[in-house]
Amino acid sequence: MEKSAELLPGTLDLLILKAVSLGTQHGYGILTRIGQISGGALNIEQGALYPALFRLERKGLLETEWGISENNRKAKYYSLTAAGKKRLRLETEGWRRLAAAMKTVLAAGEI
Amino acid sequence: MPVSLRKILNVLRARDDWEQSLDDELSSHIAMRADDLERSGLTRKQAVRRARLELGSRERYKDEVRAAFGIRALDELAQDVRYALRTLRRDKAFAAVAVLSLALGVGVNTIVFGILNTVLFKPMPGIVNPQELYFVGTTQFWSVSFPNYRDLRDRNRSFTGLVADRIVTAGLNTGGRSEQIWGFLATANYFDVLGVRPLLGRFFTPAEDVHGNAGQVVVFSYAAWQSRFGRDPQIVGKTVRLNGQPLTVIGVAPLAFRGTELFFAPEFWLPVGMQPQLENVSYLEARAANNFWVTGRLARGVSRQQAQAEVDRLATVLAREYPQINGGFRYQLAPPGLIGDGLRGPVETFVSGLTVLAALVLLAACANLASMLAARSSDRFREIALRISIGAGPARVVRQLLTESVVLTVAAGAIGCAIAAATLRWLAQYQLPMPFPSIQFNVDTDADPRVFLFALGASILTGALAGVLPAQQALRMDANQMLKGVHSIASGKRWAVRDVLVPVQIALCSALVVASLTSIRSLTEAFKANLGMTLEGASVVAFDPRLAHYGEPEGHALQRRLVDEAATLPGVVATGYADTVPLGLGHSSGTVFREDATDFRQSQGINVTQMIVSPGYFKAIGTRLLSGREYAWSDVRQPAGTRIAIVNETFARRIIGTANAVGRRFRYGPDADAEVIGLVEDGKFQALTEAPEPALFLPATRVYSSDTVLIVRSRVSETVMANQLQQMISRIDPNLPVGSSTSLASYIRIAYFPTVVASVLLGVFGVIAALLAVAGIYGTASYSVSRRIREIGIRMAIGAGPRQVLSFVLGRTSRLVAIGAVLGLVSGVAANRLLASIVYRVSDRDPLTVIAAALIIMLVAVLAVSAPARRAVRLDPQQALRQE
Repeated sequence: MEKSAELLPGTLDLLILKAVSLGTQHGYGILTRIGQISGGALNIEQGALYPALFRLERKGLLETEWGISENNRKAKYYSLTAAGKKRLRLETEGWRRLAAAMKTVLAAGEI
Repeated sequence: MPVSLRKILNVLRARDDWEQSLDDELSSHIAMRADDLERSGLTRKQAVRRARLELGSRERYKDEVRAAFGIRALDELAQDVRYALRTLRRDKAFAAVAVLSLALGVGVNTIVFGILNTVLFKPMPGIVNPQELYFVGTTQFWSVSFPNYRDLRDRNRSFTGLVADRIVTAGLNTGGRSEQIWGFLATANYFDVLGVRPLLGRFFTPAEDVHGNAGQVVVFSYAAWQSRFGRDPQIVGKTVRLNGQPLTVIGVAPLAFRGTELFFAPEFWLPVGMQPQLENVSYLEARAANNFWVTGRLARGVSRQQAQAEVDRLATVLAREYPQINGGFRYQLAPPGLIGDGLRGPVETFVSGLTVLAALVLLAACANLASMLAARSSDRFREIALRISIGAGPARVVRQLLTESVVLTVAAGAIGCAIAAATLRWLAQYQLPMPFPSIQFNVDTDADPRVFLFALGASILTGALAGVLPAQQALRMDANQMLKGVHSIASGKRWAVRDVLVPVQIALCSALVVASLTSIRSLTEAFKANLGMTLEGASVVAFDPRLAHYGEPEGHALQRRLVDEAATLPGVVATGYADTVPLGLGHSSGTVFREDATDFRQSQGINVTQMIVSPGYFKAIGTRLLSGREYAWSDVRQPAGTRIAIVNETFARRIIGTANAVGRRFRYGPDADAEVIGLVEDGKFQALTEAPEPALFLPATRVYSSDTVLIVRSRVSETVMANQLQQMISRIDPNLPVGSSTSLASYIRIAYFPTVVASVLLGVFGVIAALLAVAGIYGTASYSVSRRIREIGIRMAIGAGPRQVLSFVLGRTSRLVAIGAVLGLVSGVAANRLLASIVYRVSDRDPLTVIAAALIIMLVAVLAVSAPARRAVRLDPQQALRQE
């Protein structure tokens, strides 16, 4: 099972934080949500998800609670902490700046 | 990613929590995915299966989480250790054998290293910068005469200081009694040059060194201060009496300091200026008397080679100034502690022999352990294959196997360390068997952290080495084949590495057994050797009138009186005395020349052992008089008469030139000659293994020595006579300290010391080797039986008798043992050559020893396989067939 080649570890974290910011969700749900809102362009490797979730939880950016899902399954729900919200804001800013800079560089020389 | 300690602890504490939580989470993930898949049309069963496959191995997640935590290594290590302990607990017998044999190996090596460390590596205690110190001695004697020392000291530029010292003994008068103690005469700069500061009081000043006006002062060692004065804090300034003379105690040396010689711990130091009054003869101006030991500290920036060159130059100058005495002498530098290199040779030989033996034992233990581990690991091929197949990397598996062997060896190492520590402590207290019980000859082998580091290192190294073998096998395995039940390694190959180990073990064991048998044999030979004296029936008592403050005429009279008194005791056949006995300590040597010699330089003379003997000595000690006569009490000093001498056969041959020596002459120097009046048989004087030495016996009626050994030959038991002699002396003078009274045989037992030690050690090593071999063969044979229970069952079922079963099961093992035994016997015989230097008269082609060794090895092998063999023969075929 190869790791996802297109995603850097940092970006996965950012995606997860964003996904969770849209509403408390369990691991499987985060997976599907990211697929949905990216319109299918980004598909997270199942194997990469849970370690990332654990990392984020350990860093204090996510907090967890066990609950019952829609299908009556027991599931662990993740939500953003205050630190997580702050980190999401910072990272998003950083990404936007990076993307703008990349766009400028790649567009250079084109008429 | 730095992980704070608290977080680690939290994680470790919550370990079970998160693992369980992760499990639950993954289960729920699978369930939800399965729900989705079910909705898209699959059956529940298919959906769940697909979901599981998609998620993959749970263990991998756990691993990744652990890696994310950054404590994966620690966690895995803990797992490995727990697992190792579990499997070892299952196999208690194996673990016990492995740990014990390895503990023996590590323990023995640690002890040897401890001795090595003390004798060769550890710097002498209490001295500042000991690496700058060098012993300076003549190449012939290692000792230097005092006038020559003075010249060396005053004329050199390579040393910041040169000191001279000399071992002396004196009688310490306490209460009414006199007790013999040993110490050093030392020059005033002794403590300064060595960099030792006094614990109490002060040390010598140069004024106290002055000959003829010597300060009557003494410095005591810490040990003496503790044992004799009860650590009296007011000791400085008090007066003590040595040989009846009052001396002022001026200081106490610090605890660790033991002087400059490894084997001798002095109790006191006296200024060298006191030498003449202490020994009743002055050596301070005797340029020809080489009896001081000289040590010096190199000046800054001066190398050993430079100092040696200067000393060589000074030797030439001194030879030019005193051609008779110093002509031909060379001086040499050596690291201090072993009397220059005087003791270094025998000590190094002994210690290297010891090291080799210990290494062999460790090798044998390693081989044992390795073969047993290999046997066990082939039992676990299936288990290992399983682990590989569920995702454990080969590195992980290897690490687990290594952990197991390291756990074993660390446990063994700890036990071995404990054994070594206890033995070294005992050795530190052990006094070498000196004839004078009061002399402190021991080696300070107390625990040094270096030694235990060594033991730890040795254990871990052994563990890694022993574990490498099964680990290698694990790596080479094809996991799939393993699971299918095909043991691609165990079968097919003719000679596995494990098969090499058994002969190696046996070879080592055989070699050691041969060596120990040889040395035991030689010990018995040594006791039967012709010593030139008769031990049975002879008792001795040693004393020194000087210690009770007797001068020469009084001492001489005392000696005569005691000899005469002893002759009146019941059962006495002969009496006599001498300044020492053959193979005792304190031998002097002299230089003589042929009658027709023209070159009288000291270096051109012939060195002979010299003894001073009384009339009746030869009869008392049992040396045969071949021609001529013994001394008589009437042979007193003649003012103008010729000197007389008694010599032995080798002296006659070498110096006189003929066996008919009586009546012939030889020379002490250009103006001094002597006539031989008696010829006695050869004997041993310094060591059991020496070649025949020329010996010269001077008349006690003309030459006085206060060192006295009274020898009495009697018909009663030696110990009874010895006691009577002691009582006789205390009757005549209760203040005379008696050095030792015992049988002649006990008195000279120091001469047997190297041989005895070598034989004891080799015997011990031989036994250890045999034990290890038994353990090893037992392990291998036992394993062999258990692996093939099914096959044995089949064979028995089709009618094989006990003999066929045995040959099937043990055939291979026996072949290996036989090969090993032959190899070992051959190398053991070769090793005998090495032994010849320490052990007495070893014949390296002695058939008896080899046959005995072979028998012992056969016995060992039979003993070792007896239990597994019995098990094989008693198998119930039905049971066996049912077993996998």
